[in-house]
Amino acid sequence: MKVSKKIVLLGYFGVGKSSLIRRFVENTFSEDYKVSIGVHIFKKNITIPEKGTDVSLVIWDLEGNDDITNTRLSYLLGTHAFIYVYDVTRPATYKNLENEINFLKEKQKNTPITVVGNKEDLVTKAYLKQNSNDFGSLTDFYVSAKTGDKVNFLFSNLAEALIK
Amino acid sequence: MNQDERLSILKDILLTDEREYAQKVEEKLKIVEELVNKQNQLSDRVNPIIEERLNDFVIEIPKTLGPVITEALKSEIKNSQDAVVEALFPIIGKMIKKYIQQEMQILSEQINAKMNNAFSFEALKRKFKSKRTGVSEADLMLQELVHPIIEQIMVIEKGSGIIISEYSKTQAIDEDMVSGMLTAIKSFAEDAFEKENQELNYIEYDSFHIHLQNFSDYYIAVIISGSYNALFKSQLEDKLLDFAQNSINKQDIINRDSFSEKLKKHFQ
Repeated sequence: MKVSKKIVLLGYFGVGKSSLIRRFVENTFSEDYKVSIGVHIFKKNITIPEKGTDVSLVIWDLEGNDDITNTRLSYLLGTHAFIYVYDVTRPATYKNLENEINFLKEKQKNTPITVVGNKEDLVTKAYLKQNSNDFGSLTDFYVSAKTGDKVNFLFSNLAEALIK
Repeated sequence: MNQDERLSILKDILLTDEREYAQKVEEKLKIVEELVNKQNQLSDRVNPIIEERLNDFVIEIPKTLGPVITEALKSEIKNSQDAVVEALFPIIGKMIKKYIQQEMQILSEQINAKMNNAFSFEALKRKFKSKRTGVSEADLMLQELVHPIIEQIMVIEKGSGIIISEYSKTQAIDEDMVSGMLTAIKSFAEDAFEKENQELNYIEYDSFHIHLQNFSDYYIAVIISGSYNALFKSQLEDKLLDFAQNSINKQDIINRDSFSEKLKKHFQ
C-alpha cells in the first residue's frame, strides 16, 4: 500500500529548516546560508516494513518567519503533521515557542506537532539542561542537520505515527 | 743538389699551407660522412620506436587527457557564461529563426490550402461552428492544424496538495512534487488577491498549458500541449464537469484506486 502525507516545517529565519530537509532527503549539508523564499516542496519515500506500507512524505519547507501569525494560512491547509524548528543557540527563536505552538494548534486542530531543537552539535548536554525551562518541556527532539544526528529518526518516527 | 731536389724544396715552400688546408678539409669531410652514416643507422633503429609511441599516444590521449580537457572546458564555460552565451547566441538564434520560419511556412501553406477551399463542406462547417461557439474561424483553423494533446491529468486534494489520482500516457514527471507545487502556487495566488470565491484556473509553463478545474474537495489539473483555445477549454470543462458529476462520488476520494480506474476509463 502507498500513502502520501503532507509535512510542513515552520520556524524562525535561519533555524535550519531547509538544512534538516536536505539532510533527510539528500543526505547533504552546507554551511552556506541561503534564505528560503515562499515555499519549497521536497519528497521522500519511506518504507515501513512492519505495516507493509510505502509512505511518500511531501515536505513543505516554508520561508522563515519571526512571527508565526504572518504565515500564509493556506499553506497550512490539509497538513498531516507539523515540524516546528528552533535553534538551540538563539533564544530569539524559542522565546515565543509556547505561543507559536498554540497558534498552530488553534489554526489546525488535530494536526500533530513535533517540536525540534536544531544545532544540537553546537551546545553541550549541560547547556540543554540549564535552558530546559525555556524549551525543554515542549521539545520532542534535539537534532543536528550538520551531523545528521536523529534527523532520519525524526522523519521516520513521524511517518510511522501518521499511518497508525 | 740537382734540379729535381731544388724543385721539391721550392714546392714545399710554396704549397705547404694548401696541403695542410686540403688535409683538414679531408678530415672534416670524413667526420661529416661518419655522422651522416651514424644518423641513418640511428634513424633506422629509433623511427619504429617513435612511431609505436606515437600510435600509443593517439590511442591514450582521449583516455588520459579527455576528462581533463572536458573538465577544463566545463569550468571555462561555467566561469565565462556571458561570453559563451554571447558567442552561441547568434548561432542558436539563427537556428531557431530558421526553424520558426520553416514551421511558419508550413503553417501558412496549410492555412492557404484551407482558405482556397473556402466553399468546401469543411469550411462551411467551420463557419457554422464559429457562429455557434463564438470562437473565431482563425482559432478554429489553428486548432485543426495544431491539435491540443492532453499530456497528463492529476486529481489533487485541495489544501494538502496530495495527489488523489493521476492519468498519463507517458510517465515523465514526479506527480507528488508537481501537485504540491501547483497547490502552493494556487494557494499563494488565491491568498494574495484576497478575494473570496476566486480561484486560479490556468497556468502557462513553457509550451504547456495547465488547466485547473476546481471542485469542492479537490481540483483537477490537466496538462496540455499544442493549441489551447476557448473552444477546447469549453469542451474540456464539459468533460471534467461530466466526469465529476456522473462518475465520482465521495467514496472515490477515499478509495483512490477506484478513482484512478474511473479517471482512466473516462479519459482514455
